[in-house]
Amino acid sequence: MSVIDYDAVVIGGGMSGLMAGIHLLEQGYTVAVVSRGDPAVCLSTGCIDVCGTGMDPLAGVDALPDEHPYHVTGKEKIRAALDKFSDIMTDVRLPYAGRAEENRAIITPLGTTKLTCLVPRTMETAPRKPDEYIHVVSFNGLKDFYPSYITARRKNTGFSLFDAGVTTTMGIAARFEDRAFLKEFIAWLKGLEIPDGKLAFPAVMGLEHPLSIMQEIQSQVERWGFEIPTLPPSLPGIRLFKGLKRSFQGKGGDVYWGSPIASVERSGKHIEAVTIETKGRSTRVNGRAFILATGSFVSGGLFALRDEIQETVFGLSVASPGPRDDWFNRDFFTPGHAVERAGIRVGKDFRPSEDSLENLFVCGSIISGSEVMKYGCGHGLALTTGLAAAESCAEVLK
Amino acid sequence: MKFEHCIRCTICVENCPVFRVNPAFPGPKQSGPDAQRFRLDGEKSVDQWVQLCIQCKRCEVACPYGVDPAEIILKAQIKYAGEHLRGPANYLFANNYYLGALGSLASPIANRIAATDFAKRTFNLMGISTYMPFPRFNLMSMNKGRRKVGKGVRKVVFFYGCFLNFNRPDVGRTIRELLVSLGLEVVLPHQVCCGLPALGNGDIELARRFASKNAAILAEYINKGYDVIYGCTSCGLTLAHDYPGILNVAGGKKVAENSYNVSEYILKLIDEGAINPTFGPVETRVAYHIPCHLRAIGIGYPAARLFAKIPGLSFDVMDDHCCGLSGSYGFKRKNQATALAIGNQAAALIKESGAQVLAADCGACRMQLAHLAGLTALDPSEIMMASLRKGASTP
Repeated sequence: MSVIDYDAVVIGGGMSGLMAGIHLLEQGYTVAVVSRGDPAVCLSTGCIDVCGTGMDPLAGVDALPDEHPYHVTGKEKIRAALDKFSDIMTDVRLPYAGRAEENRAIITPLGTTKLTCLVPRTMETAPRKPDEYIHVVSFNGLKDFYPSYITARRKNTGFSLFDAGVTTTMGIAARFEDRAFLKEFIAWLKGLEIPDGKLAFPAVMGLEHPLSIMQEIQSQVERWGFEIPTLPPSLPGIRLFKGLKRSFQGKGGDVYWGSPIASVERSGKHIEAVTIETKGRSTRVNGRAFILATGSFVSGGLFALRDEIQETVFGLSVASPGPRDDWFNRDFFTPGHAVERAGIRVGKDFRPSEDSLENLFVCGSIISGSEVMKYGCGHGLALTTGLAAAESCAEVLK
Repeated sequence: MKFEHCIRCTICVENCPVFRVNPAFPGPKQSGPDAQRFRLDGEKSVDQWVQLCIQCKRCEVACPYGVDPAEIILKAQIKYAGEHLRGPANYLFANNYYLGALGSLASPIANRIAATDFAKRTFNLMGISTYMPFPRFNLMSMNKGRRKVGKGVRKVVFFYGCFLNFNRPDVGRTIRELLVSLGLEVVLPHQVCCGLPALGNGDIELARRFASKNAAILAEYINKGYDVIYGCTSCGLTLAHDYPGILNVAGGKKVAENSYNVSEYILKLIDEGAINPTFGPVETRVAYHIPCHLRAIGIGYPAARLFAKIPGLSFDVMDDHCCGLSGSYGFKRKNQATALAIGNQAAALIKESGAQVLAADCGACRMQLAHLAGLTALDPSEIMMASLRKGASTP
């Protein structure tokens, strides 16, 4: 068995885990992230929802139920986490726009709007007024993005289609990284006769360099342009994940990717190591402290049996929303199924409050009462609790 | 029945290098779990596009639900190959080991012939691509050197693999020297191809013959207290994953449990307190390209942890891109455009990083990226050996 030692071992490579890992690396600790696979952030819009219940996210936080984890972190921590996140993304050249005090409505691929807080700079110039002319520029045969959904819902819109030779979001994005393709696209765009207004693109404008690609288009065509998120595979989600991961690795963090955790070693209240199921032989990862950031049901942090909900790595006690009959609303689309409140209860220091473990900290949507779908607070909550849990963890490591 | 665990989230699709650049490939989700329910025993496969999968395993590493799309596709590739006529390139590359042995023996002539226009035209006719010069064969292959070097309490068997054996024995000897300098006894027993090229070219029976032979030899050493060190991460993945898995050979599990990446083994010895090497300065900037198959083994990137101990060395870990060559995949003409498009993406980011040299623990990655990025490509062991030599000379 290979023996590997770290100050902190983060379990889960999503938004909260990587945020926690980056913070600990910046404090001078050695950190490993252990992840079973790529996180749900890859499937997201890439936008940072902080609290989507009204136009002011921080005011919205005040109105959340008492058991919501935002009340544990406090609003200052939200601001600090968003600032830190913005700095990280600027460093990896995927800068974000927006501030904690203000939500903005972005256009969805269905032509509806949704509230979010921080957006990638490629989405920054999305129209604030509903009657502003936008011209949707999409691609022949592109699945999962239909301009007519948008033009049918919004007044004052039009659309054009470009033949990119490929029809998938990943394929088109890869082509935009090619200078010759970009030039051809811009030349085509210049030839279009479009009313005054902004250009809206599905979010397929490059894999690695979306902002410089968008800036080049804007300056050549002399119009503002912005990306609209697509259904998965979602480029803004992938870029966000890769950006955070790159930052983590650039600061010296190690990753163990793709293997589930086979077992946990503990002595009394202390966790000593996790063992991952690597190919051929298991690999033991030792840590002085551990951070649990495995997400909720979709990401596999929680697992629901017929009448019980389990935490999948450490077997922690799960705060469950009563008997199974009460878990779901009768109508699937009514937000706020009770089962979304399930999770790990944490104390002020982000230790699990119902299990006495002195070197384990919990962050992200696995914390009970998060209800990220209902309150529109997914990435914001992940970043904020990730930072808060890492700060508590750093106290133990001192 | 792992394919039934797929929830169609498309995370695998996001990670597929082929899907990005080749619209003819429907991606790991459709080729793997989606198509699996239509594949029946006794019915001839029609999914020709499974052959476009590069077997980088990035979909497996990315899948949060343990579906292993690449393994499903590999089985579909073998099924397809068994039911259809295979091209000469497939036969040739499956038998890469014999090709290497012959090429090495006849290297003074073979290298010259391979470089001629006539040979290139012949290769092209056979479906073999020549966008990059063929790796040169080397007369002084690893299997011609001493069988046992060094003395020490720790004893290891070096599984060097075909590429180091026939094409770059100089790199193989550096790895051997590195292990000996750390106080290990290194044995180089007779060994054959790991079997991966045969597996990747649809000949599972040949792959199994190679694997059985190696497993018998290696298991005997393991029983005598030796650990196995592999010199290439694709051989490593085959030993650790396929020997007890799809190839299912006697002794496979034992080999899998006792095989180590070079850097992983050095870290283990350091952690156990068995060695305490002094790393001297190496002033350079390295782009450390992580081979897809190292990612797939799951042990992290041990060479990066050792690089961090070398004074003066700055490095970027680059694990988001496949090199595009994948052993013999890129050497097939029908895959040439795909291999180049994938490789150029990786090479562009390497160049952008400002690296002076690139490193990768896989010979195929080094060959492809050195060619496309125009940089010298080293095995991590070469950098470590340079550092240890400096460390030994400074008091």
